[in-house]
Amino acid sequence: MSIGRRGFIKIAAVTAGAAGAASVSAASPHAEGTDGPSVLVDTTLCVGCRACEAACAEKNELPVPPESDDVMQERRDTAPQVFTVVNRAEKDAGTVRFAKKQCMHCLAPGCASACPVRAMNKTPEGPVVYDPSKCMGCRYCMVACPFDVPKYEYDSWKPRVRKCGFCADRQAKGLKPACTEVCPSGALTFGPRSKMLELAKTRIYTNPGKYVQHVYGEHEAGGTSWLYITDIDLGKLALRTDVPEKDIPSLVSGALSAPPFVMTLWPPLLMGLYAFSRRRTPAEGEGKEHGKEDHHG
Amino acid sequence: MAHDFLSIYPANLLEYVLAVGYLLMFIPFWRYVQGGKAKEVAVRVAEPRAAARAAIRAPRPTAGWFQLPGGIHLHPGHTWARLENDGLVAVGIDDFAHKLVGPARVELPALGELVAQGEPALAMGDEDRTVPLLSPVDGTVVAVNAAARDGKNGIEDPYGAGWLFKVKAPRLAANLRQLLTDGPARHFVEDAGERLALRMSPEIAHVLQDGGAPIHGIAHALAGDDWEQLAREHFLT
Amino acid sequence: MASVQARAVAAPQSFVREKILLGMGLREYVRSCCTKGNAIAAAILVVGVPILIYRFIAGLGATTALSQTAPWGIWIGFDMMTGIALAAGGFTIGATVQIFGLEEYHPIERPAILTAFLGYVMAVIGLLADLGRPWNIVMALFNYGTASALFEVAWCVMCYTTVLLLEFTVPAFEWLGWKKLHAVMRKALIGLTVLSVMFSTMHQSALGSLFLLAPTKLHPLWYTPFIFVFFFISAIIAGISMVIVESMLSHRVFHSQVANHPVDIDKLTLGLGKAGALVMFAYFFLKLQGVIDGHAWGYLATGYGAWFLVETVGFGLVPALLYAYGSRNANVKLVRIGGVMGVLGIILNRLNVSVIAFNWNQPVRYVPSASEVIVSITLVTIGVLLFRWIVNRMPILREDPRFAETHH
Repeated sequence: MSIGRRGFIKIAAVTAGAAGAASVSAASPHAEGTDGPSVLVDTTLCVGCRACEAACAEKNELPVPPESDDVMQERRDTAPQVFTVVNRAEKDAGTVRFAKKQCMHCLAPGCASACPVRAMNKTPEGPVVYDPSKCMGCRYCMVACPFDVPKYEYDSWKPRVRKCGFCADRQAKGLKPACTEVCPSGALTFGPRSKMLELAKTRIYTNPGKYVQHVYGEHEAGGTSWLYITDIDLGKLALRTDVPEKDIPSLVSGALSAPPFVMTLWPPLLMGLYAFSRRRTPAEGEGKEHGKEDHHG
Repeated sequence: MAHDFLSIYPANLLEYVLAVGYLLMFIPFWRYVQGGKAKEVAVRVAEPRAAARAAIRAPRPTAGWFQLPGGIHLHPGHTWARLENDGLVAVGIDDFAHKLVGPARVELPALGELVAQGEPALAMGDEDRTVPLLSPVDGTVVAVNAAARDGKNGIEDPYGAGWLFKVKAPRLAANLRQLLTDGPARHFVEDAGERLALRMSPEIAHVLQDGGAPIHGIAHALAGDDWEQLAREHFLT
Repeated sequence: MASVQARAVAAPQSFVREKILLGMGLREYVRSCCTKGNAIAAAILVVGVPILIYRFIAGLGATTALSQTAPWGIWIGFDMMTGIALAAGGFTIGATVQIFGLEEYHPIERPAILTAFLGYVMAVIGLLADLGRPWNIVMALFNYGTASALFEVAWCVMCYTTVLLLEFTVPAFEWLGWKKLHAVMRKALIGLTVLSVMFSTMHQSALGSLFLLAPTKLHPLWYTPFIFVFFFISAIIAGISMVIVESMLSHRVFHSQVANHPVDIDKLTLGLGKAGALVMFAYFFLKLQGVIDGHAWGYLATGYGAWFLVETVGFGLVPALLYAYGSRNANVKLVRIGGVMGVLGIILNRLNVSVIAFNWNQPVRYVPSASEVIVSITLVTIGVLLFRWIVNRMPILREDPRFAETHH
């Protein structure tokens, strides 16, 4: 379905020097004309120090994450007070891998398209942010997200949806997101998406056999801002691997283009049926008899 | 959803086959559903009063015990309107009203008088009391059936020679929409008949059901001196 | 209290006494309310209403079994989605009478519209109970999340409930005796009916579109890009079946009202059964097409496949055949059984799509909490009580003789 699709982006101009690498396909949606902020997560470099968790908690004024790394023995998910978690998995005997989970900040986010009041909104700069003042708590964004990211404050009487905000305020000031700032091992690299894709593919191609030949987030859900390269099945690291490549909003756009057609076609169709059925009664004379028609704007 | 390419072929083929199969099955299914005897399900009255119930279930003519020809637009007050060939609208009382009141004088509006749909326009009655009836249409009276008005024993043939007056009706289409025809009219008159039946003693009901001549002046028979009340109830006046 | 009756005939009573208390004195009226049925209803309300209030005080976590992986439960799946589907009789019968001109269905038109109106009111209350921040529901009036199917649902439901309210004013104004307003609304009915079909088409289908964006969460046997067509057709089925059931119950419960104006409800039921047979027959094949189109036939051999067949064949094809056989052979009882099964089939379908086949691949599944079930039952009870209150007073099942000439 290509209705209302934002057109081809002029990525080519930006990445003229990286022919085979950053080939963002023409069909994938993108923030208007910009090459948005992105983070490359290289799980082979992550040492599981969880400094990112601590930095995120500090920046967002969340409770301090547990000190002990024993928490990683269990698979954890994000939570209303936890915007990012690091999970751990065994690659093979003796080698462990870690992966950070947080909002993927999709290019065409399902949560933002699902929100009927635009409390969940994709900013032109890139991050997908949440405004609780508009939120009515329908939780449709939670249904929409294929990565199961948004979490809900069920225990509050004025609950909010909670997720990573990509440190949008920091980015507005030219700073990097808090987690990428503190990562000591270089597992997290922050930069424009085209560059991060280029970096990801370069690493894969220049280390044959090391990585799985897939950049997670390049096409998932139509493309996300957080990209992962790894040498282990990401499902083991608590990331959903059944995400379709079609972006979520495009799944709905076809059905959503129907209402204007219904509003245009139904009245003449129905009034025609009405007139036709009335014609059966003799001595009615004129064809179309209207009662006073109630028009709603 | 992305599918293995090759599985599209059998899938689409299967869809077409299913659709064709459905169409082939739909034709007999439609005929099956539409077929069947057009059975007249007995109109059910909630609390059955035994004898009256038995009486009602017997086979009946046009609209219960009362005649109701086609081409008639019936007003719920038991008057009717019919578009005549000369463009005027004839007005009369229906068979129900005719039998309810029985032989009676009719008082008709004068020539040139204005009548309005749902407003009293004519009356029937005997020496001491009359019951008004409502006009089925709006209009100006341009013709009056003198024989009906002057006749001492009221009218015969309420739909034919017994027409009462004719009007020029400027808003006929709108008026007709408020009137009953065919099925709904028949139901209405049947309903009215049921209501009468419920007041009847079983014997009278039986007599009527035997096809014996319907009693004239049912209202008198049922309600005696209060016939006027009963009639007004039905004529909505 | 014979004097009451005499006074009732002789002198005009106060508005409250005549209209609200059904012509009885207050003490008499209260005494007339002490029935077994009312005792059960009262018991339900006594338990359910405090729980509902508690939900607004303590939040969703304290009263529901919703979780981070199961954000929607039966308040959405049953109260809102099923409630709205079963209220589809309003537009189906309304269209039958007003647009297709089948006047013989007029006697069931008003109860159908009342059922629809109350169904939507209860669905909205259920929705408000489910929303985390219900006071912000007005945000939908000013913030236009037009990329969302839920936005369409919200607006169409708002508009349609208004249309239903306006349609309901016709008998309400008859009850109040406001002739001029009544005449105005009566004339508007055809326009309102066109709007009701239009809005219903949009939001009944949009309720299905809601699930388009969760292809990995809804089981492939139920997920199809055509789910919005399925929801619309099944809404028509729901309307027909619900009216068959509701008219059967109403004419039994309120037989004193219909006794003097016998309506051939059996004949109407047979007619509805005929229509229902054809639509359900087509719908069954539609569902099969959906499965094939999604290449999901392999799932039919699984547990969910069996459950899918229970819904589609057991509560879809079987009632279609009951309708067909019953309407052809004038067997009203069979048609009514078909109606009950049809209603159950719609409930099953909506629950399947929203909670049972939804998140089918999650390790921990959602099971409604006792409070959620009680609140749902409470809302249905309130709806039934309101239905009865209105039917006992207003010309829904019977005609008001003062307005008889304005009826068809």
